[in-house]
Parts: sequence; C-alpha cells; structure tokens
Amino acid sequence: MWDRTIDGKALNFHLAGINNQNFLMRDEETGSWWQQVTGEAIQGPLKGRKLAAVFCDEVSFAIWRSEQPRSRFLRPDPRVEKNYVTADWESKIARLPVVTRRTGAEDFDSRALMIGLVINGNAKAYPMADLQRQRLILDTVGETPIFLVVGDDQKSVRAFSRIAAGRKREFFVKTDATPFGLIDSETGTTWDFSGRATTGPLAGQQLQRIPTLKDYWFDWRTYHPQTSVFTPGSELHE
Amino acid sequence: MRKAVWLVLILALVASVVMVLIPVWLIHPFRRQTPSGIDISFILRRWSPFVTVIIAAGMMAAGFWLWRGTRRWWAKSVLVAFVLFALAPAWAARQNHFEWMFNPLPNAGYVSATQANFIADNDMVLGVEINGEAVAYPVRQMAYHHVVHDSVGGKAIVATY
Repeated sequence: MWDRTIDGKALNFHLAGINNQNFLMRDEETGSWWQQVTGEAIQGPLKGRKLAAVFCDEVSFAIWRSEQPRSRFLRPDPRVEKNYVTADWESKIARLPVVTRRTGAEDFDSRALMIGLVINGNAKAYPMADLQRQRLILDTVGETPIFLVVGDDQKSVRAFSRIAAGRKREFFVKTDATPFGLIDSETGTTWDFSGRATTGPLAGQQLQRIPTLKDYWFDWRTYHPQTSVFTPGSELHE
Repeated sequence: MRKAVWLVLILALVASVVMVLIPVWLIHPFRRQTPSGIDISFILRRWSPFVTVIIAAGMMAAGFWLWRGTRRWWAKSVLVAFVLFALAPAWAARQNHFEWMFNPLPNAGYVSATQANFIADNDMVLGVEINGEAVAYPVRQMAYHHVVHDSVGGKAIVATY
C-alpha cells in the first residue's frame, strides 16, 4: 500500500512485467518502472525514488468490519469476477514453482509464509506456522521490544511495540477467552487485538502498531537479504 | 538492387518482431530475471512503439517502390502481406498484455459492510485507515487486479498485492 504522490503529482500505475515473481508497475506520467514489494523505481526518469508506505492491515473481513464499521469495501468487477482466485487459492499458489536461487542451507520451503518486519533497518521474518502454533511471540528486534499475535480467526497477524505507558511489558494470552485478549504481567491490564487496553490499570492506552508484510520466504529473502529468522524456543534476552 | 530491397524488407520485419518479443520473453512469469534483462526489457518497451512505426513506414516505402516493378500477382500479394505484417509489431508494441491477463480497475466501486456479501468472514482484506476514513480491499480481488488506485482521507494511494 503506497502513497502515490511524488513531487506533488499523483501517479497512475499499470502492470508492466514480472521481476523474480514480484510484479513491476509502470507509471503513466513518467514511464518509470516500480517494484511492487519495495515501492522503489528501478528504471526510468524516477529511478531510485521510493513511494512512501501507507500503513496497511492484512486481516480477516470479520475483524476489519467489527473494528471499522464505517469502512467501505472494494466491490468485485462483474466483467472479470469469474477470474478472481477461489477461497482455497493459497494452497494452489503454494504449489507454483519458484525461480529465485536458494542460498546455502535453508530450513524453509521457498513458499513458506512469513510475517516480515523491519525496525530501524533490522529485518526479521517469523514463520506463519510458528505463529499459528504459539499464537503470541515476544521478541526484541534491534533495541525494540515487540510482540506478534494471531487473532481469533487463526489467520490475522499483528505486531506491536511492548512499550506501554513508558515501560517495557510482558504479555500473555488470556486463556479460554473469546473474544481474544492479552494480559500484561505487571499490571494485569487486558488488551484487545487492536492493541487497546480495555480493562485494568492501563485502560485506554494504545500500543504502537508495527508494520508487517505477509510474504513468501523466497520473496522476503530476495528483498531483505540480511534478514534474520525467528527460531521457536529461542530465549528472549531482556 | 531489387533483391537487396527484398532482403532489407525481410530483415526489417524480423527486427521489428524481435524487438517486441524480447521483453515479453524476458519479463514473463516463472522465469528468473536478471538486472540486465530488466534493463534490456525497459529500453525495448520504451522505444519499440516509435521504432516499430518507423520500420513500418520504411517498409511501406520500400514496398511501394518494389510494387511499381512487380507484375506477377503472387509477388504483389507477398509484398502486400509483408507490409501488413509490419503493422503487427507496431500495434503489439502499444499493447500491455499483462492487462489482458489481469484487467485493470480504472473506476473501482465500493460498498458498505452490510452490502459486502461477496466476502466471507474468514476472507482476508487489506485494510487502510487514513484521517478517519477506512477502506478494505479483499485479497481475492487484489490477487487478480493487483493494482487499485484510490484516495483515502485526502491522500492519493495505490493498493498493490
């Protein structure tokens, strides 16, 4: 999701090609080519420029609708609706070939789904399979204490800073609670999936969101060659 | 001289076709792309709309010149076919075959949550909220269109997937 204004002018994009399974888009205004996943112009008059990222949430319809009741929703285009991917498209895509080269010993399948994030230049990927198993992962990336959490739908993932009211916190999943809830160990405050403290001493506080990208391992690694990867069971050093 | 002009005609047509086909081949899906391949594709895609027209015009001029000295009907037919073939790459250089596969959505329509019966509760959406305005782009639609232009909370954005 990108801010498409460059130098005060809104650009209009078209598909222009494929670069190692990530698409290129061309802007009508200058004819430059942009890499979709990085928002960077790689050819043409605007080569080297970057579009500013717009914070984007990848969550299930149920979660978005309940949090944003006044949201509008993109309507299907009736002319091409029959070409839209089916509900089981992820399992179909998972069988498609991958062309980027694998480097050295890797523990992951090229099409393993990852939740990737970058904090102050430190890229880290969290295997979706580990997230779904653990539900909550506490971590520190660079100097920033964070957590990633999976929603009630078992699909939506969000990442937050663990700093609340000026202090670093530890969180636990509230067991047997529907809807979802997190508790911080120090104050016992309950937090919801949007990162808001609902009940307890810190009620009303909002945890800072951290942008994430759900991506295939091969794609994430191509554009973040220095990335580290979360290993389950790795101890959290505070 | 006439043979030389015929040869030029054939080479010009081949050059024009190759110029259009090379980028199609270099940046097609499930192929490993290299930075130089992207460079070549960009240059060819940028210049082929002009170059193919110039080649087509040159071929028409050469064809006209050859026509005057041609008497046999089949030779004339071949000549006409050649000149018409010259228009094909000029046309193809102006097409975006990626948008044939994935139709763009220039006038995207939107509905409220109560009318959004085309999305299942468990379907994923890309959600964005800017200055109090919230919009969601269902992933199943985005995985087809790939690019949707919008203006949210006064900001011009492009949703990509």
